[in-house]
Amino acid sequence: MRRSERVWSAILLSPGLGMLLLFVVAPIVLTAWISFHEWSMFTPMGDWTFVGIDNYRELSNSRTFRIALRNTLLYAGISLVAIVPLALGLGMLLFGGMGRASTALRTIVFVPYMIPTIAVAIIWGYLYSPLYGPLNQLLGFVGLPRQAWLGAVDTAMLSLVILNVWQTIGYYTVLVIAGLTQIPFVYYEAAKIDGASGFQRTWHITLPLLRRTLLFVVVIAVINTVQVFEPVYVLTQGGPANATNVLSFQIYRTAFEFGLAGQASAMAFVLFLVLVAAVLVVMRLLRDPAGGVV
Amino acid sequence: MRGPSGMVVRGVVFAFVAAPMLFPLFWMLASSLKTPQELQASPPVWLPAAPNLDAFARVFEVAPFARAFLNSFTVAGGTTLGILLTSIMAGYVFAKHRFVGRDVLFHVVLATMFLPPIVMLVPLFRIVEALGLVDTYAGVILPFLANAFGIFLMRQFMAGIPDELIESARIDGASEWTILWRIVVPLLGPAVAALAIFAFVFHWNSFLWPLTILQSPEMHTVVLALNRLVSYTSAIRFQNVVMAGTAIAIVPNVILFLLMQRTFIAGISSTGVKG
Repeated sequence: MRRSERVWSAILLSPGLGMLLLFVVAPIVLTAWISFHEWSMFTPMGDWTFVGIDNYRELSNSRTFRIALRNTLLYAGISLVAIVPLALGLGMLLFGGMGRASTALRTIVFVPYMIPTIAVAIIWGYLYSPLYGPLNQLLGFVGLPRQAWLGAVDTAMLSLVILNVWQTIGYYTVLVIAGLTQIPFVYYEAAKIDGASGFQRTWHITLPLLRRTLLFVVVIAVINTVQVFEPVYVLTQGGPANATNVLSFQIYRTAFEFGLAGQASAMAFVLFLVLVAAVLVVMRLLRDPAGGVV
Repeated sequence: MRGPSGMVVRGVVFAFVAAPMLFPLFWMLASSLKTPQELQASPPVWLPAAPNLDAFARVFEVAPFARAFLNSFTVAGGTTLGILLTSIMAGYVFAKHRFVGRDVLFHVVLATMFLPPIVMLVPLFRIVEALGLVDTYAGVILPFLANAFGIFLMRQFMAGIPDELIESARIDGASEWTILWRIVVPLLGPAVAALAIFAFVFHWNSFLWPLTILQSPEMHTVVLALNRLVSYTSAIRFQNVVMAGTAIAIVPNVILFLLMQRTFIAGISSTGVKG
């Protein structure tokens, strides 16, 4: 019985774990390996030259890479600053304040998350069009100056963030709602009896007990935003003047347009390390024993 | 707030949230029905004077959209089947089998959930290339036949199934294979459905990997065809065709979501809460 269970464990695990080993673990190890080599995308496997940390040294001297790294962090940072409060506000609104309209509003807020990012980028590219798009017209209605949106260094990145927030906010809101349903209702009742105001209840009950959920939102948002690719590929190609050039786009270009596999892998490995560092920091916060009940 | 004034406040809040979420989709639909003259007006015209469906017919002339749908169904469907199979099997072991190192192994699997394809794109492409699978369905599907999220989701739901049920089947002499497919899986209906929809939509929408692997236009998925449609027709007077293509491309997803909304939301909620 025990022995046959052991055999079954192996049989049932091997397809899934085998695929992960072959197509996730091995490629990550290979990425690290290739990053220490000079290798053209157009020569066969094995035809590489060991160059030590030359690729990394080149990256540290490359202005384009530094800009791409900075832009990636900037994009992730601005997105987080917008997503966390918005998801929290929408989540509380949909969980508590909207009655029967909540379901309809949740559907509306969530639908963009289902749409391919390419489609979202195409639609927003049109909305942002300075002459033919409606956004500048709307700004005009309320007396604000026209913007160049994707066409100007100052606004291009922000325009991409807005598009991302529009597409993904519904997903993060659903996570917040799920977190809210876990908070026992009696806490609020007790606080009400003690005369706590709505603001006090939010500040002293909801937010501390939602900490875990919010950190989860942050982790997922970081993972999703540092790999942003489609909007940049479709709308800006990294421009204007590198203002929206992000790491994933630079990796793709370096590998598949310039054919520099070693360089691209070094960049990819840096992106990997950035991601691991970010997730570890947030996990650390999650485990903080001072953090309370949840 | 109750009573009529509460209703008004709620209505205003509703409109305030719904309008920005719906406006881009409204703009897409309205523009797909406009004439080239209306598209070239500045400031833009919001509603077409005489809505016409010409653009929807044009989409199928300028891009191989019908074939693209078939390709997307094949790729997303094939990947989803693989993910279901590998996730159910591995999830069962992590939930119900006991062996030394199980939890460590499970955490290693979970760690792979955080790895975006861009990080391993170069070796992944070269591996698939070495297998001779560039520009094939198999090349798009193969690297994604298993994923940590699916294994995680299945394990979470299977952990909730009582051990006694499985033990008594074992005593009756059922093999692990029979127990998994005859007893465990039928109890997991909603969870399996949630995973199937997640996987299908995710791979239907996927761009970077198909872009890397699929080269000939007749192999392109809907998302890739849409990308090409834009480069064909970037002039503003063709924007109705682009918007019609976009509308067609998102229809399956929106319908699937509206039909399966509860399953979807429940699936996301469970990963957020238990994660």
